[in-house]
Formats: sequence, structure tokens, C-alpha cells
Amino acid sequence: MTRLRELIGVAVAGLLARKTRTLLIMLGPVMGVAAIVAAVGLSESAKGDLRQKLQELGTNLVIATADGTFAFGTAPTLPEEAVERAGNISTVEKVTGYIEMTGIQVLPSAGGEDFFRTVPIPVLAADTELMNVLDTGLESGRFLNEFDQANSIRSLVIGNALADEYGYLEGETRTLSLNGRDYAVVGVIEKVELVPDLDRAVLMTPATAERDWDIEQTPTGLYLRVRDGTAEETAEILPQALALGGSEGVSTTIPSSLLEAEAEVDTTLQLIVITMGGLALVVGGLGIANVMSISVIQRSSEIGIRRALGHTRGTIAGQFLLEALVVGVLGGIVGAGVGVVAIVAGSRIGDWVVTIQPALLVWSGALAVVVAVIFGIYPAMKAARLEPLETLRLG
Amino acid sequence: MAEPSALFELDRVSRVYGDEVKVHALRDVSLTIHAGDFMSIVGPSGSGKSTLLGILGCLDLATSGTVRVAGQDVARLDDAGRSKVRGDSIGFVFQQFHLIPHLSALGNVATALLYRGLTAQVRRELATAALDKVGLGPRIHHRPVQLSGGEQQRVALARAIVTDPLMVLADEPTGALDTANAANVMEIFAALRAHDRAIVIVTHDLEIADRADRRVSMRDGEVVDDEILRPAAGTVVLP
Repeated sequence: MTRLRELIGVAVAGLLARKTRTLLIMLGPVMGVAAIVAAVGLSESAKGDLRQKLQELGTNLVIATADGTFAFGTAPTLPEEAVERAGNISTVEKVTGYIEMTGIQVLPSAGGEDFFRTVPIPVLAADTELMNVLDTGLESGRFLNEFDQANSIRSLVIGNALADEYGYLEGETRTLSLNGRDYAVVGVIEKVELVPDLDRAVLMTPATAERDWDIEQTPTGLYLRVRDGTAEETAEILPQALALGGSEGVSTTIPSSLLEAEAEVDTTLQLIVITMGGLALVVGGLGIANVMSISVIQRSSEIGIRRALGHTRGTIAGQFLLEALVVGVLGGIVGAGVGVVAIVAGSRIGDWVVTIQPALLVWSGALAVVVAVIFGIYPAMKAARLEPLETLRLG
Repeated sequence: MAEPSALFELDRVSRVYGDEVKVHALRDVSLTIHAGDFMSIVGPSGSGKSTLLGILGCLDLATSGTVRVAGQDVARLDDAGRSKVRGDSIGFVFQQFHLIPHLSALGNVATALLYRGLTAQVRRELATAALDKVGLGPRIHHRPVQLSGGEQQRVALARAIVTDPLMVLADEPTGALDTANAANVMEIFAALRAHDRAIVIVTHDLEIADRADRRVSMRDGEVVDDEILRPAAGTVVLP
């Protein structure tokens, strides 16, 4: 241990004695590591906002809807026990069903028919669990509650975009006309990123839907939150798990997968830039081998005297190898630092979310060390092979 | 009185260079160096004295004959073993000083103490003491370029003795110095005489050679004369 410390001391002193040269040969690893770190970091940062959004939204929302292909003519529904069956799947954490109602015309006011009829507004019956499963909140007002459900109150919660469209003011007492029946708007839902359909929808309790519109209490769709990382397998087994051999068709979607695809970094481009950074590292390594080989010749007197003082060939090789190692370590650290600065600066310019992967810093720095040591082997061997008798020029 | 112990023994040592055209740099040289010897090896250039120094210093191997350092056959040692012998038993002084330019006087002397399991503190203390011995106490933090030739050679001397070797082996130690500095360095050599240590100075300068207690003369690779000029330190009965 002391021996290693002594060797490190000798190597560092040797490097410090030639500061300019040391800095110059360090530039290779610095630029290589900086290129790799910056290339990966910048391409990740460019997608950072998407990724951040994904993180907030979660990638574990699965939507199951009744598939129309088997239900000729009538509005397709899921089995009655769909919610219960979904709840039995081990990967499902939360589930809620909804009923999409058809043939209801929603109007903001009498006389607006001509203007608003063109675009149908989805009307859903949903229970109080919905907000919990979607993990979303209200922009204003309140959600449908137990009281609404128990008493079949004609209260509505509307989507964010619809509220804008109708010029709904916060706190305003507003009624909407559903096929001529007046309903009170009690709240506005926040924008739901993963389910944009809800932004223009109108929601009421299932009890109200049943009383006013004679709707059967069978869901037409489910929202499910599953354990992280199980969205795909859950989506795959869901149709069978829900239908249980029945005739109902079920189709599933994972709304976050589109976002995920968008957030995916262009790996080909990244690979090209990493390769170029790697090349810079190798060229830097060649620089180390080159300069250190010349250094060995220039320092032959030092090597000779060290050998005369009893230092073995191994010790001399170790000294020069450690010099290369120190160059690699410092070059790696400085290069990683430069790379991080480039990421932060680039992200500021591009208005991106800074994304730095600590693992990337570590492995690219380690790569610099490995390259430096490999290219330090030749000069180290050369130094070790020098014959003291030849370098000391005896009189 | 007991015969002083033999530190270095050369028994019919020859050194031949070249494969096809053979050059006999040393021919059947037998020489014993005792503890307490203050010896000079003198001869004109080409007499083989540098070759002899290389072999004595375990920097080179004899083509034939045996070389023993403190009873140990050098030819049987590998490179690492010979390195150990050099580090433990021999202190070198060269004409060109061969100080490491980026190290201070203290650093240069302490370099001889590396890889011996000594702490930095101990290395510093021993090196400082050695520099004191050669009269460079106040200049230990100077780098070689900041020292005169005579001072640099004194640093080299301190480096040679800091490990307390069996033999100090000097190659033309005054060759690069003016007369005053040369005299000063020779005085230090004389002062470094010890009953358990040999001092061997290789030179072509007869005046320097005659300052030693024992003078070995060489010519054409052979020892032609080996005379005692004055009683060696080892033979003095210590009170």
C-alpha cells in the first residue's frame, strides 16, 4: 500500500514537472469523454420534457373498451362483471368502469343548436373512482359524489376543453341541456393528458344515467392503473380476462405508449456520436503513447538513475503506467465536467430539460482511464527496458 | 587484528562485447574491495575502468568469472535481485550528477529511499540528515538548476550515502567541476570514509586518484597495479 502511494507520488510529481505537456496529452481523453457525455446528454435532454411529462403521467394507465365487432347494431358493452374481473388480475392496482352513452345531444343553451350540433359531445356515466384512477384533479368546482349517485341528481362534470368552448366561467351557475333536460354543471376536470377524449366530455353518475336515460349498468370501457412495468402484459391478457370466453370483444390501449415512442431518443444518431467520441478517445490515447514515448527518451537519465538507485524494471513501468492512469483519470473527470457544462448550456439554449445520467459519466470516464492505460503500456515497457548502463553515460 | 571483511570480490572477471568482432573490455580481473577501503581506479580512456564500474555497480554482468557482493554471486540474481543489491549496497555518484531536474535536493536524495516501506516523514528526515552531512543543510529545497555544479555533486553524494550502502561507487565525480569544487568534493569523500564502508572512485585524473588510500591502475582491460598509498580506515584500531 505504501509502495503504491509512493508510486503515485512519483507519477504525479513527474506529471506536475511538465504541466503544459500533461495538459496537452490530457486534452485527448477530455475531448473524447466530453463528446460522449455531451452527445448522449444533449440528445436525452432534448427529449427531457417529454420524459418528464411521462414520469408525471405514469406509464401504467391501460384503457379497455368494448369492441364493436361482435355486437351488431347495438352499442357494444363489456361484460357486467368487467370491473370485478379486472380487479382480480394481480397486476391491476385500481380500476373503474364508465358507460359511454349514445344519442344524447348536449347544448350549452337554448338556440345554440345550429352551432353546436355539428360536433357530438361524448356523454359518460362514471363513478366517483374515476378521478382517483386517472390521477387527475378538478380545475374548478367539485366532482360527482355519493350524494349525486344516491339521489340521481342531475349534476354534471365537464371537460376542460368543453368548458372553454362554452365560455364557462369559474363559479358560474350554468346548466347544460341534454336532449332538452337541464343539468347543472358542478365542476370542471383538469386536462387529462393521457385521455384527451375526456377534455370534451360530459360526465354524470351511473344512477342518474339509469333513471334519466334508462341506461344499463354495464360498462362500455374501463380505466385501469397497473403495477409499473406491467402495462403491456396486462393489456395483452385483459381481453381474455374480461370476456372469460364470452362473446364480448375487448380492445386495449396504453395511452402513454405513443408519448413513449416520441420520447425515444434516436439511437442511431446517438451511436454515431458516441463512436466519434470513442474515436476521439482513441486518438487521444495515441497522443498519450506518442508524447510519453518521447518523454521516456528525454527522461532516460532519470530512468537510469532510478534504476541505479535500485528501482526495479517493474517499478519504472509502474511509474509510467501510473502517469498514464492519472492522465486518464483527470482527463475523464474534466471531460465529464466539460460534457455536463455542454449539456446544461445546450439545454438552456434549446430550452430543454437537463438530463444527466450519472452512469454515463462514470462509464465514459472509466473508458478514458482504460484507453489511457492501454496506450500507456508501450511507453511504460519502453522505459522499463532501458538499460541503466546506456542511459547513464559513464565517463 | 582481523582482516577487514571483503565486500566486493571479483574473481577472474572478463567482459567481452560484440558477437562477431569481440572486444575484450575486461580480461581476467581479480579484485577484492574491503570494508574501510578508500580506493581509486585509475587508467586512461579505453582501459576498461568504466566497464569495471558497471560490473561493480551490478549494472552489467560479467561474461565470465564471478562477482560477489557481500558473499552473494551476482550472476545468480535476476534483474530485480540485482536492483535490490544496487539499492541496498551501492551508492552511485556520476560525473554528470544525474539529478532528477524536477525534484528539489531533498526530493532527489529521498528518491533513493523510495519503495523501502519508509514513511514520507522518515524519508525526509534521513534525506535532510544526509544533506546536512555534505554541508547542504540550508539548500535542501533548491532544485538542481538553482545549485552550482559543486553543490549538485554534493546532492548526488548525499543521495549515494543516504541508504547507508556498503560501497559508494563514483564515476569521475570531479570531472565536471572546477578545481576548488573538485577539492571540496574529494574532502567530503575522504570524510565519508567509514570502517564498514568502501569508497571507490573511478577516474582518469592521477591527482584525484592519489587522494585515495588505495590505488588500482588499469590498462587495456587488465589491472596492472594495486598499491596501498596510506593505511585504510578499516585497519585503524578504533579506541
